[in-house]
Amino acid sequence: MTVSAKALAQVHPEAHEHDHEAELRKEHLMLDPKPRGEMNALVMEAMLTTSWKFWAVAGLMALVTVVGLFGMWGYSISEGMYTASVNRPMYWSYFLVHTVFWIGISHAGTFVSALLRVFRAEFRRPFTRAAELMTTFALAQAGIHIFAHMGRVWLAYWMFPIPTQRLIWPNLHSPLMWDFLAINTYLLSSTMYLFLPLIPDLAMARDRSTGWRKSVYRVLALGFRGTESEWTHLRIALNIFAFAILPVMFSVHTIVSWDFAAAMRPGWSSTIFGPYFVVGALQSGVSAVAMVVITVRATMKNMTYFVRPEHFDALGKLMLIISMAWAYFFFNDYMVQWYGGDSFTDSLLHFHEAGPGGWVWFLMLITNILVPWLVLWNKQWRRNPWILFTVGLLANVGMWAERFIIVPVSLQINRVPFMWGHGVKIFRETFPYVSVEIPIFIGSVAFFVLLYMLASKFIPLVPVWEVQEGQMAHSIRRYGKEPVITVAELE
Amino acid sequence: MTDSFTRRDFLKVMGAGAAATVLTGCGPASRYVTREPYTKMPEYTYNGQSTYYATTCRECAAGCGLILRTHQGRAIKAEGNKFHPLNQGKTCARGQATLHGMYNPDRVQFPAQHARGDATLTEMDWDAAIAVVQKALQDPQGTQFLLGTASDHLFDLVTDVCQAVGAPSPLRFGALSMFEARATLGEASRAVFGKPDLLFFDIANADLVISFGANFLETWLSPVAYTRGYAQMRRGDVRGHFVQLEPRLSETAAKADEWYPLLPGAEGLVVSALGKLFAEQKFGVAPAAFEMVDLAAAAEASGLTLEQFERLAALLLRAERPVILPGGAALAQAEGLETAKAILTLNALLDNLGKAGGVFHTPAAPLADSYHRPASAAEISALVKRMNAGEVNTLLVHGVNPLFELPAALGLEAALQKVKTVISFATFPDETALAADYIFPDHHGLESWGYQRVQTGAGQSALSGSQPVVVPYYNTRATADVLIAAAGDALPFKDEVEFLQSKVAALVEAPGGFYSAADLPSFWALFQQYGGWWQNDSSASAPSAAGALEKKLTFHAPEAAHAEGEHEEFSLYVYPSPILAEAGANKPWLQEIADPTTTVMWNSWLEMNPETAHHLGIEDDDVVRVISPAGEVEVSVYRYPAIRPDVVAIPFGQGHTAYGRYAENRGVNPALLFSAETNAAGDLAFGGVKVKIEKTGKKRPLSRLESKMGVYGFGEEH
Amino acid sequence: MAIPKIPEFKAEWKEGEEGRWGMAVDMDLCTGCQACVVACSMENNVPFVGEAEAGYGRSLGWIRVERLWEGQYPEVKMTPYQPVMCQQCGSAPCEPVCPVFATVHSQAEQLNVQVYNRCVGTRYCANNCPYVVRVFNWADFDRPDPLPNQFNPDVTVRRRGVMEKCTFCIQRIHRAEDQAKAEGREVLDGEAQPACAQACPADAIVFGRLDDPESRVSKLSRSNRGSHLLEELGTQPRVTYLKGGSNDRLG
Repeated sequence: MTVSAKALAQVHPEAHEHDHEAELRKEHLMLDPKPRGEMNALVMEAMLTTSWKFWAVAGLMALVTVVGLFGMWGYSISEGMYTASVNRPMYWSYFLVHTVFWIGISHAGTFVSALLRVFRAEFRRPFTRAAELMTTFALAQAGIHIFAHMGRVWLAYWMFPIPTQRLIWPNLHSPLMWDFLAINTYLLSSTMYLFLPLIPDLAMARDRSTGWRKSVYRVLALGFRGTESEWTHLRIALNIFAFAILPVMFSVHTIVSWDFAAAMRPGWSSTIFGPYFVVGALQSGVSAVAMVVITVRATMKNMTYFVRPEHFDALGKLMLIISMAWAYFFFNDYMVQWYGGDSFTDSLLHFHEAGPGGWVWFLMLITNILVPWLVLWNKQWRRNPWILFTVGLLANVGMWAERFIIVPVSLQINRVPFMWGHGVKIFRETFPYVSVEIPIFIGSVAFFVLLYMLASKFIPLVPVWEVQEGQMAHSIRRYGKEPVITVAELE
Repeated sequence: MTDSFTRRDFLKVMGAGAAATVLTGCGPASRYVTREPYTKMPEYTYNGQSTYYATTCRECAAGCGLILRTHQGRAIKAEGNKFHPLNQGKTCARGQATLHGMYNPDRVQFPAQHARGDATLTEMDWDAAIAVVQKALQDPQGTQFLLGTASDHLFDLVTDVCQAVGAPSPLRFGALSMFEARATLGEASRAVFGKPDLLFFDIANADLVISFGANFLETWLSPVAYTRGYAQMRRGDVRGHFVQLEPRLSETAAKADEWYPLLPGAEGLVVSALGKLFAEQKFGVAPAAFEMVDLAAAAEASGLTLEQFERLAALLLRAERPVILPGGAALAQAEGLETAKAILTLNALLDNLGKAGGVFHTPAAPLADSYHRPASAAEISALVKRMNAGEVNTLLVHGVNPLFELPAALGLEAALQKVKTVISFATFPDETALAADYIFPDHHGLESWGYQRVQTGAGQSALSGSQPVVVPYYNTRATADVLIAAAGDALPFKDEVEFLQSKVAALVEAPGGFYSAADLPSFWALFQQYGGWWQNDSSASAPSAAGALEKKLTFHAPEAAHAEGEHEEFSLYVYPSPILAEAGANKPWLQEIADPTTTVMWNSWLEMNPETAHHLGIEDDDVVRVISPAGEVEVSVYRYPAIRPDVVAIPFGQGHTAYGRYAENRGVNPALLFSAETNAAGDLAFGGVKVKIEKTGKKRPLSRLESKMGVYGFGEEH
Repeated sequence: MAIPKIPEFKAEWKEGEEGRWGMAVDMDLCTGCQACVVACSMENNVPFVGEAEAGYGRSLGWIRVERLWEGQYPEVKMTPYQPVMCQQCGSAPCEPVCPVFATVHSQAEQLNVQVYNRCVGTRYCANNCPYVVRVFNWADFDRPDPLPNQFNPDVTVRRRGVMEKCTFCIQRIHRAEDQAKAEGREVLDGEAQPACAQACPADAIVFGRLDDPESRVSKLSRSNRGSHLLEELGTQPRVTYLKGGSNDRLG
C-alpha cells in the first residue's frame, strides 16, 4: 500500500480530456478512484444513514419473523407435524425444499467471494461482503428449516457428537449426520471467512465513530492498526481460507444431495446428484447475489458509486454460464435415468411431466433455461438492473421448483403403487392444515432480510479496503491513442 | 375328554397349547361386583400378570368364542378361543374391535329418562327404573319386547317373562338377518327339505363352490367359520374352485376364481338354467323343477351369455363335491323364495345333501327346542300395524336399533309416536334409544353373563357362554336382572346367574360333551372356563329332498331398469359393509379400517361403473343424489371398476344420526331407499329397488387408503 | 464416562443368513377381511386418526391390505389381497440412514427394531423403506377417555414426532421366550404368535422360527410358491408371500 489513490489519479492527468478514457472510468469502479478519506466517508454515511422507511420495513420484517417464522414454528412444535403438508409416502416436503433452497442461496456467497478471489476476478471487489453476509444468513435459515422439519426438535441435540449419559454416539453411517456435520463446518468456516476481511473495515469504522459503536468496533476489530505485518497476515489468512473454503463449499452441497442420492428410491438414487446440486445451488445463489446487489444499490446511500452496470454485466454472464451448466446436468440426470428403463423411474419421470404437478416441471425448465438463455445474451439487457433482477428472481423460482420436484413430487412415486402419493391433492385440499410451512418460509425470508438490513447498518457493506486496493492496482495506459486498462501486482 | 377333568389335567392341556393362556372361570365373575381401589386388589389379580377370561363375542349373532386378556382389571385384548368349535381361535375385525365398544366414550352411563329425540338424559336410580318396567309388565297385553339377535339367553329369559305374565312373544330382529334373508332361507329349507333351518354349507370339503351373492367371507351367517372353511377348501389336496355370481365384485367375489356380474333378480333363472343344462348333460333329461326355463331368455335376462352357462355347467359336471350357496341379495328379491328353493333343489340335484362338501342341517344348539329365526320384515310390519292401532302401550327394545336398521318405508318412526312408553336397554345412545322415553342401559357384552346358541357354521351342537371379564365400567345393570326384579314372583329366579344355571343344568348330564362334571357348580365353573359347552363330534344331519326335483319352479325376467334418456334408472345393490356390518359404526378403529374393496375409510360411497360415470359426466368424489320411490340420499361417488354398468351399490352401516361421536353424521343409510315390499317368505325384497341418479354439483372427497393414482393411474381418466 | 460405542454398519446381517423369526403369508387364502389390521392396532396401541387425516395418508395402521386391479370390465380382476407389514429385512435400508440409531437390528431377536425413545423424527428411515411400511405420529392423536383403558401395558404408547412400524409383536416373542426359559426348553413352534397371525380367520399368516427348518413357517418359506417383496433390492425380507394356488383341478 505504498501507492496512494490520489497519486494514481494523477498519473495520467490528460485522460480526463479524452472521451474514451472518461467512458472507461465511468464504466469501471476500479478506474474511478476517490480519495481514501472520501470513500471511507461514503461507506460510513451509507452505514449510518437510516430513514423512517428503513425502520418501517425493518419493523415489518421483524413482525413477519416473529409471527410467521417463530410463531408458526412454535405452533407446529406444540401440535405435531400434521400442521405441515407431509404424509405417507411424502415424508419430506416443503421444509426440506426450503432447506436445500437456503443452502443453495448460501452457496453463492462463498462462491462469488472465494472462487473469484482465487481467480482474481476484479469485478468481485465491491460486493464480496454482501455475498458473504448472504452465506451466513441464508445458512441460518437453512438450519431453521432443518430443525422445523424434525418430529421432535427438542431432542435435536442428540445429533451432536457429544458424550452424554445416553452413551449413544450419533450414527455416522447416516447421510443426515454427514449433512449435519457438513453444514456446521460450512457455517463455521464461512462465518470466519466473513469476519477476516471485515477486520480492516471494522478498524476503519472504529476510527470514524463514537459512543457504543466505537466500543463494539474496538472489540471486533481486534486492535487492527493497518501495519504492514497485519496486512501480510491478513492476506495470507485470506488466501488460505479462500482456497480451503472452496472444497467445503463443494462438499456441503454434494453432501446435501447425498441425503437424496444415497437413498434407494427411484429418481433419487442418482450418481450425478452431487455436481447437479452444486450447480443448482450456484444457479440460485448467483442470482440471489445479483438480486441483493441490485437491492442494496437501489436502497442504500452512495451505492451507485460502488456498484455499477459493469457488475451487473459480469454477474449476468456468470448466471448465463451457470444456467448452461445446470441445463447440462439436468439433461444428464434425466437422460441416464430414462435410459436405465427401470419401470418405477419411468413412472416417476412421467409423473414429473404429466402428473398434477407437471406445470411446476415446465416452469422450472422455462425459468432456469429458457429465460436466462434468451435474455442474458444481450449486453444491454443484462446491464439493466430491472431485467437482471427479474431474471434472478425467476431463476430462484425455478430452482425452488427444482427442489420441489426432487423432494415432495418425487416422493409420490415409490416401488409400491398402492402406496403412491395422493398427487398434489394434499397441497390443495388440506389448506387449513398446511399453513405452517408457507408462513415459516415467508417468515424466514423476512428474517433473512431483517438480519441483512441490521447488518448493513452495523458493518460496512462494502469492503472499502478491497476496493481501494483494487483501485490502486488498476491504471489506464495509452498505446498510441488507445487507452488500455492495466493491473499491477500489488504483492 | 374324560369324566374327571382335574386341575392338573387342565394345566397339562394348557401347557401343550401354543399360548400359555391362563383361563379363569371365577374371577370378577362373582355375582355382585363392586369397584375397589387397586390398593385392595383381589387375590386372583397379580401385579404385572394378565388374567384371561373366556366369553362370547356379541358383535354379531354367530356366537364366536373369545378369550379376553385382562390386566389389573382392565380388558386389554380380544383373542379367539382355540377350543371353541365355531371360530377355533380366530376372530374377525369386528370381534377384535369389541373393546372399542366397551371403552367407548359415548356409552350410556346411567339409567335415564329423557324427552323423545332429546339427547340430554336425566339420571334416575335403578329402583325407579325397575318400577317403570314393573309398571309396564302389569299391562301384559300392551307390552311388546323387541330384541336383537344377540344374546340368546336374554331372548330365553324374555320368552319366560312373557309367558309368565301373559305378554305377546318377543320379536327378534337384526339388519344382518335382513340382508341374509334368513326367513326366506328357512322357509325354502322347510319347503324343500321339510324342516326350517339355517343350513350348514360344508364349503371346507367342497371342490366347487358356486355362490349366488353369498358374501360368506364378510358377514354372511358366520363369517369366521366360513372363512376357515374357505381356507380349508383352498388348502386341500385338490384346491377347490370358487365361482361367485353377483352384480358387483365383493370382497368375497375378489377371492373367487371366476366372477360373473349378473343382473340382480335373475339369480333364479340362472340357477334353473344351470340345473337344466347339468341334468340334460348328466342324465339326459331335466327334472321338472328346472325344465321350464328357456336358456336363451335366461341369458338375456341375466346379462350372462350361453357360453358362460355352458362353462358353469361343465364345471358342475366335472366337480366331485360341488355346493351352491344362496346369498342374501339373491333371496331378497320378489321371487327370492323361489330362488332359494331352486338353489336348494339344485344342491339336491347335485346329490350333495349330507355328504362331505355338501349341505347339512345344522344340529340344534344345546338348550334349543327348534330353530328360531329372527323376525322377517313382514312380521315387523305387523308389529308396526299393531303399534299404529294403539295396541302396544309399552315397547321394550334391547340389542337392536330398528330406527336405523329397518327401512324407513316400514313407518316405524311414526308408529313409535303411538306407543305410550318406549323403554330402551341400549348400551349406546342410538337412534332408537333417543326415540325412547327411558334408557336403562345394559352392560356391554364383555361385562355380561349369558350364552349364545351356535346356529350355523359348526357341525357340532354348541352353546357359547359369556361371563363378565371386567367390572362394569359405568352405572349399568344387566337387563336380565332388571326384568327378573320387575317380574318379581312371576319367575323362580333371584338373578341372571341363577337363571343361567337353571338353563345349563340340563347339560350337566348331557353325553358327548367337550367336558363333563359331576355337579352343577363344577359344570358351571368349566362352562365359564371354556366359554361354553359343545359336543365333541359333529351331529349335522343330511337333509332329505324327497320330491323336490319334481316341483315346478318358474321365474320371470327381472324388471328392466329404464336405460335411456333423462329418466335413466339403475338397480340399487345394497350390501352390509364387510367391516362395519350392522353395528360397528361406533367403534373408531373399525371406522378407520379401509374397506376391503374400495379402501374407503370413515364414510359411505356410491359404487358406479367408470363407463356409466363417464357417460353421466360424473367424476370420483362427486356428490350425487340417489333417488328411489321411498327416499333419497346424497353420497360421494367411487368409480368402481368391477360393477355392472346398470347397477349402483351402496354399503350399509353408516348414516347414523345418533350412536356416538364416531358414528354420527357420517355417510348415508341406504335403508332410507328401500321400499316396504316383501317376498313370499316375508323378507324385505330390497333387491329390486331402482334408483335415479342426479348430480348435485358438490364434491366431497372420500378418504381412501389406496393411492388413487397408483392404483388407477395418473393423468388419464380410468 | 465410558466412551460410546459405534455399532457396526448393518451390524447383524450376513449374506445368506436366514434370520430368526419369520412370517409366511398365503395370498391364496387371505380374504382381505382386515382382522389382522384391527388385531394389530388393538395389541400395539396404534391410534386412529379420523377421516380427514386418514384421507391425507396419515393413518397409522402397521399393516395394510393391498389390492390392485387387472383388466377392464367385464374381464376385470382384483389382484390377490396382500397384507404388507414391516418385512423385518435382514439388510434393512432404514437402519443405516437414521442419524440417532433409533432404528437398529436387535442381536437377540434379529429383528429390525424401532427405539421410540431415541427417535427425533427425521423420517429418513421411512423415505428409504422400499415397502412404505413405516408410519409417523403426525400428532398426539386424541383417544378420549375411557378408550385408554384398553392400552396394552406391554407396548409403549408413542407420542407425536416418533416413527413406528410393525415389530412382529416382539412383546409376545419375549413372553413366549420367557415362558420357555422358565420351563427350561426351546420356544415351541407356534408358541409366539403376533396378533395378526393369531386373529387371521383364514390362517393365511403363519409365524415362527426361520432357524428351525422343521417349523411351519420355514417349510412354507421354502415353498416354490413363495417369493419376497421387491426381492431384487437385496433387502433380505423375512416375510414370504405365497402366490397362486396349489393344484386347482377345475381351473
